[in-house]
Amino acid sequence: MRIWRHRPGSAMLAAVAALSLFTAACGSDDSEASGGAGGEGEVSGEITLLTPIYEGTDGEKLLEEELLPKFYEQYPDVSVSVDYTTYGTLNEKLTTAVASGLVPDVMMMGVGWIEGFADKGVLRELSEFGITGESLKESYTEQIVQAGMYDGGVYAVPIMLDTRFAVARKDILAEAGFDKPPSSWEELREYAIALTERDADGTLTRAGFDMLSHDLRQMFEVFLFSSGASLFNDDVTEPTFNSPEAVEALQFMTDLINEHKVEDVGFSSTDAQVHPLINGRAAMGLAHNNLWLQVQESAPELADQLVPFLINGEQPGMFFGGTLATVSANSEHPEAAAALLEFLSSPEAALAANEQRGNVPALTELLDSEYVRQNKMVQFAMENLEHAQNEGGPPQWLEIRGEFTPAIEAALLGEKTPQQALDDLAATAQEAMDR
Amino acid sequence: MSGEGTSERSGRRSAAEPSAEQARSRARPGDTSGEGTSERSGRRSAAEPSAEQARSRARPEDTSIAERRPATTRQRGRARNVVLTVVLGVGAFTMIVPFLWMVLTSVKSPEDLATFPPSFWPDEWVWSNYTDALDAAPFGTYFRNSLIIATGHTSITLVFAAMAGYALARIPFRGREFVFMGFVAMLMIPTYTKIVPQFLIVKFMPLFGGNDILGQGGSGWLNTWWALLIPGGLSPFAIFLFRQFYLSLPRELEEAARIDGLGELRIWAQVYTPLIKPAIATVALLTFQDSWNNFLWPLLVTTRDDLRVIQVGLAVFQQQESTAWAYLMAGTTLATVPMVLLFLVAQRYFIQGFANAGIK
Repeated sequence: MRIWRHRPGSAMLAAVAALSLFTAACGSDDSEASGGAGGEGEVSGEITLLTPIYEGTDGEKLLEEELLPKFYEQYPDVSVSVDYTTYGTLNEKLTTAVASGLVPDVMMMGVGWIEGFADKGVLRELSEFGITGESLKESYTEQIVQAGMYDGGVYAVPIMLDTRFAVARKDILAEAGFDKPPSSWEELREYAIALTERDADGTLTRAGFDMLSHDLRQMFEVFLFSSGASLFNDDVTEPTFNSPEAVEALQFMTDLINEHKVEDVGFSSTDAQVHPLINGRAAMGLAHNNLWLQVQESAPELADQLVPFLINGEQPGMFFGGTLATVSANSEHPEAAAALLEFLSSPEAALAANEQRGNVPALTELLDSEYVRQNKMVQFAMENLEHAQNEGGPPQWLEIRGEFTPAIEAALLGEKTPQQALDDLAATAQEAMDR
Repeated sequence: MSGEGTSERSGRRSAAEPSAEQARSRARPGDTSGEGTSERSGRRSAAEPSAEQARSRARPEDTSIAERRPATTRQRGRARNVVLTVVLGVGAFTMIVPFLWMVLTSVKSPEDLATFPPSFWPDEWVWSNYTDALDAAPFGTYFRNSLIIATGHTSITLVFAAMAGYALARIPFRGREFVFMGFVAMLMIPTYTKIVPQFLIVKFMPLFGGNDILGQGGSGWLNTWWALLIPGGLSPFAIFLFRQFYLSLPRELEEAARIDGLGELRIWAQVYTPLIKPAIATVALLTFQDSWNNFLWPLLVTTRDDLRVIQVGLAVFQQQESTAWAYLMAGTTLATVPMVLLFLVAQRYFIQGFANAGIK
């Protein structure tokens, strides 16, 4: 169900017309550009789309040969020029665009990015198009809606989610006499210890719980969320990821490695060719929802053996990131840009984009889609979105987040205690936030 | 000024520098014939006893030792060669293994890649990884673009960096050292800090892309070949390298050329530059490689897919949460081919260039 589908189409046009009148009243040249060939009130213009998804030939075909033609059927006076990039270079792409003033009309960016660009005035607040927090909550889980909001306003609409949760190998658990995944930290520790295997030399052959094949920041955040802690306080003025609960979460992680030896540093890495759950090098571990695609490709016979589960501490912990669509604050064709945003986040287009990447649709109504039903990991993620939490908060998040991995590494390697590592990290974050 | 500089240089040369003949012989790396050899022979005759003297001094009872010694020396020499060959072989193998691993990974199946411990040889040679990888992005276009950019950068660099290096090495002018220090300082500026300013220069390029004379109103060089070819066309490192090579050449050539009435451009083009082929090969290869591997800049200054480069195509296989290793390695193997071919063609000069410049 779409948030703004409840409004009649004329409401959208009225908002657009009002916006056109406003811009005209401001006496800017934009009014001419916005009017385009279609005249007042019509959605028209040449707009640009910057996207880190729809990459490669398949993605390009999907967007330009399947989706955009449908968009043009609805908006024949709009033409879209697509700029494909990668998440690895998206920040540079956006930074140079903002610095030069050539900001794309529609930009896709990640969860945690919105605050910084909204704070700089790069993004357009979407309420002028009838997109509000309340209307979005009719179609999305509340936490996901929050990921697109900043300072009370909606700046982004989610298209797809990347989720991280724990996964266990049912067959390996059964060998050790466990018939279901662990349901608490204590059980997780107990299972992980029991499932860890070493050879006669003491060399690790199977990790009880793999934590190293995944980005350490996101890994820590899953445990942090499950501990009941949060990254920042409610008004996002100071970090709380060094609270006693958060320190306990990092202590739990470091103990798993250093005390209980359920995995050795260097045993796996984010560059591992396949997730160690697939080749039996781990009995349990944190995974991204696209583990399903990996297992279908590498070892489809193992698909039934993978059991996703939430890490339960004070509360269930699950992480979500994702891709959201935004509109440039300086777009000369805001109505056309908003129309594209609406189209790309619509059920049909969003489902196709998620299917291409094996990701989790953000729209609640897509839980019933065939794609979701056939993908065990995506289905699990969607069914548990109410427990999912995201990173981000302050506008400086993109700067702060880069400091997390070294801090977590320092704790895992025993260079600092979890308390020291997180206190130092919090001090760095506070400094960035106060700047 | 120029005269003063010359006489000063001449004075210093007579005191500290070798003769022109020696210099010329040095200027041809690898040339071991002629004067260089006779010079070395001369030194030996002065400082060391000749073989005949040594033989005449040898006493009869030493004959057996003298006979045995060459045999021992030969054995030692052979042993040394064996050790050297083994060490170099191990070194070469170590260097080639990652490359080999890349090629072998490119023909492995997903099941094969998932096995642990990983197998060196593929269980099944999946050559279709190459066609699948090529289908995953418009690699033909990307390859063409990379080739144009790398060739363009290399051509620009070879002409202008050689000119600049020559000027800094051989033409005395006020502030030359400061200019040179400026180039050296540029070597120390991290690439990332230059991206935004460079981008702005490109965007506000006057009279291009709809810009007025003040660079306003349009997109400048963005989305054009200018943006891809000009900003990266010349590097301070190439200028530095050329300067060092030109400095190593003897001044007599320049003086003789001036007496013969050659202008500065012809001295550069016909007298000095032909003597620094190793430098040309080295700079050409390094520039080509650098341009070929460039990823971020072409991605930033273009929005059209028909202007993107091969590294952008390879990035398709590396997503945030997973990497298609077989396709990535297949694409990388193909992307490596031009560099390997270029190195094979230019390797003799390339190695000389590194040896002469003292860089590794």
